[in-house]
Amino acid sequence: MKSAGTPPNRFVVALRYLAPKIVQFVFVIWATYTVTFLLIHLLPGDPLLAALSVKGGDATTTDPEALEVLRAQYGLDGSLWQQYWGHLVQALQGDLGTSIATGQPVGDMISRALPNTAAVAVLALVLGVLSSIVITYFAYVTRWSWVRNTLLQIPPLGVAIPAFLSGLVLVSVFAFGLDLFPSSGSRSPLSIVLPAITLALPVGAIFFQVFSAAVLEAMASPYVFTATAKGLAPRTIFLRHVLRNSLLPSITILGLLIGYLAGGTAVVETVFSRDGIGRLTVDAVLARDSNVIQGIIIVVALVYSVVNLLVDLSYGVIDPRTRAKLSGRSVARAKDEAAVEA
Amino acid sequence: MPVGALAAISILAACSSTPAETAAPLESSKDTIVFAIKEDPTCLDPQLTSLTTSLNIGRQVVDSLVDQDPETGEIVPWLAESFETNDDLSAFTFTLRDDVTFSDGTALTAEVVKANLDSLIALGKTAPLASQFLSGYVSTDVADDLTFTVNFSAPNAPFLQGASTMTLGIVSEATTAEAADVRCTTGPIGSGSFVYDSYTPNDSVVIVKRDGYDWPSELREHTGEALVSTIEFPVITENSVRTGGLESGEFDIIQDLPYIDEARFTSDDYNLYAAANTGVPNSLIPNTTRAIVSDDAVRKAMLLGTDREEINLLTGSVSGQPATSALTSSTSGFESQADATAYDPDAAEELLDDAGWEMGSDGIREKDGTKLSVSVTAFYAQDVLEATQIQLKKIGIDLQLNMVTSGDFFGAIASGDYDFLAAGLTRSDPDALRVLLSSASAAKWGIIDDAGLESILLEQAATADTADRQALIDQAQEIIIDKAYLIPMLETTQLHASVSTVAGVTFDSASRVQLYDVRASE
Repeated sequence: MKSAGTPPNRFVVALRYLAPKIVQFVFVIWATYTVTFLLIHLLPGDPLLAALSVKGGDATTTDPEALEVLRAQYGLDGSLWQQYWGHLVQALQGDLGTSIATGQPVGDMISRALPNTAAVAVLALVLGVLSSIVITYFAYVTRWSWVRNTLLQIPPLGVAIPAFLSGLVLVSVFAFGLDLFPSSGSRSPLSIVLPAITLALPVGAIFFQVFSAAVLEAMASPYVFTATAKGLAPRTIFLRHVLRNSLLPSITILGLLIGYLAGGTAVVETVFSRDGIGRLTVDAVLARDSNVIQGIIIVVALVYSVVNLLVDLSYGVIDPRTRAKLSGRSVARAKDEAAVEA
Repeated sequence: MPVGALAAISILAACSSTPAETAAPLESSKDTIVFAIKEDPTCLDPQLTSLTTSLNIGRQVVDSLVDQDPETGEIVPWLAESFETNDDLSAFTFTLRDDVTFSDGTALTAEVVKANLDSLIALGKTAPLASQFLSGYVSTDVADDLTFTVNFSAPNAPFLQGASTMTLGIVSEATTAEAADVRCTTGPIGSGSFVYDSYTPNDSVVIVKRDGYDWPSELREHTGEALVSTIEFPVITENSVRTGGLESGEFDIIQDLPYIDEARFTSDDYNLYAAANTGVPNSLIPNTTRAIVSDDAVRKAMLLGTDREEINLLTGSVSGQPATSALTSSTSGFESQADATAYDPDAAEELLDDAGWEMGSDGIREKDGTKLSVSVTAFYAQDVLEATQIQLKKIGIDLQLNMVTSGDFFGAIASGDYDFLAAGLTRSDPDALRVLLSSASAAKWGIIDDAGLESILLEQAATADTADRQALIDQAQEIIIDKAYLIPMLETTQLHASVSTVAGVTFDSASRVQLYDVRASE
């Protein structure tokens, strides 16, 4: 680490911190794109026939001449290398191409589906995180250890029960039985509730595992002991000291959960017949609709990378120790303090 | 929810009053019918797609030149008030009704029909099914505003029947000028009793009544405008959500009731609508260039060793019938081969013994060190194939299942790399046999070498006289079953369900739904 001869300005500090992360960000998206391209094109089978059979059914043409014409029309002719460059250059210009199976522009399909998925995912995340914090809080403040143990054992059920099953149970009870929410589609604003709860179960459970472990660890730590000795109420200790310290590992897992949500929405959107990125992906993979798969992968990789970048940045906000490392000045000061203590 | 409450009330009301068969005009007590469909229609233009779900919706929006009675197979006038053919079925002359307009206000004229047919030829393989109906198309000659003649370079017996399907449904001139992708997403402008209102892919399609519609075919129950003002088609991919929504009253009609749930809906609270797909039943389709498959005794033994009644019982609809011929029982021209297709495992084993296939120690027969093992390539109905596999194992034949995606299925057809294919071919004309098996057919799936059958298949497509053509089609079915050029397994049934207060859901000759008469009673 450099010593603080002249204090570097804020911009350089921020750049030094951000540059590797942005390089990583671009690399992740490029690598995902390339690997997906290779996977689609190296799999046996003809992507053109796969996509045509969606509309063609039992009348799908297998006439070689007709297929050649269509192949050229959809940019599926030429060598693998030509196709790769052609599509990559197009994508960089913001043109994701046209779906072979549906004939719709991929950009339109994604911008239509993304808000639906984002709404469910965000609500699921909020519900999952809030309920984890609440359950952990009650486990923390309770005096009876059996209550604590019971509370801590409930959330793992969320991971154990497949979303497919919990979704169908929720539909049977709350839509068909009690008629409180619509069973399917995204035609009513309330239709978001059941899918979000279904997805909140596993997402909340994963978050809970990490969060509650951090809280339990904190409970045994000296600063909590000190606070308790000072006579602070358990509620105050939890909210003011423990919560902040336990959030750091939990926020890391939040970044990873975005990936889980992208997969989870595929199941939830199928069960609840909602239009969204997950359904789009499943349909596109089944139809080997390469342009759509590529487009979705780019968008999901982008979202994933942005969230993880934000998570990295949020460390600085939550934990002052991380912030200190960022600026040379603070590092120098920290060093001085360390020297004084020594 | 009001929908649920209303449905419950309607059911109660239905018990007290039975609709009398009077001449009172038909009417619907509900303005909106919710018809849950099982998949995204993908393409709204019935000329450009073969997807059943899409055709079920498209049928309401486009009318055809003629209509076909699904019971008798008789072709009746629709948009064309009269039609005639020349002697060798290479020219068809139609005279249109003079009062038909499209929903954009333009009138139906002979020029519009010509634009339709010409644009379908220009689209070529983008409209695969239409180009099959129009094979050999030369031109459409317009005589006057309402009269035109469609000319083919060779006889085309299936054309008139094809003209009754939504695949050759007539769209407005503006639509014919649009690109295929646009037609699929925005939907065509038709002259049908409904018009497209909205389409949200993967979510729903909404169609609304066409004001001033008054040209249904004589096969419909009423005249004038459709009876409901709106039909919503939510896309509900999950089977149990469709059935649950029907029970709770969220949906009025559902497409594709799973056969396994059929028993739950046989009560008086629901109506079931079943029709076997027309055309060739789900069958094993041979590639006789493969050594084992070319052995007549093996194919014949497979045909006799397949218990179609059991397959229907295990995997089919309660309303369905076992397959008994190379055509399904709902296809015009169907001739039952019940005796020749009866389950007879003893005869099958005898055939194999005589042909030198000895039973091996592992229960699989073999001859000269070759195991009696064949593979079948398919992309749906694995349960049907598993039932067949178990039955064939009993007579010592090993059927290997090769379940693939639909794309790989057509890839196998393109490369000819298969022993058997398993699928049905849905066409409402018996010409399906020629499309599937003739070596001259561009869309053939089976590879067989039989000059006698080939000439019959070609001749029936060029025979104008109904009785003569039927005789040829009977012969073709007999030969195909006798030589086991197809091993029928199951007649796939279109099975829909509605609440009992809904009436007027009918099937057209292609087993697709017609909703012009649909209505709900109190």
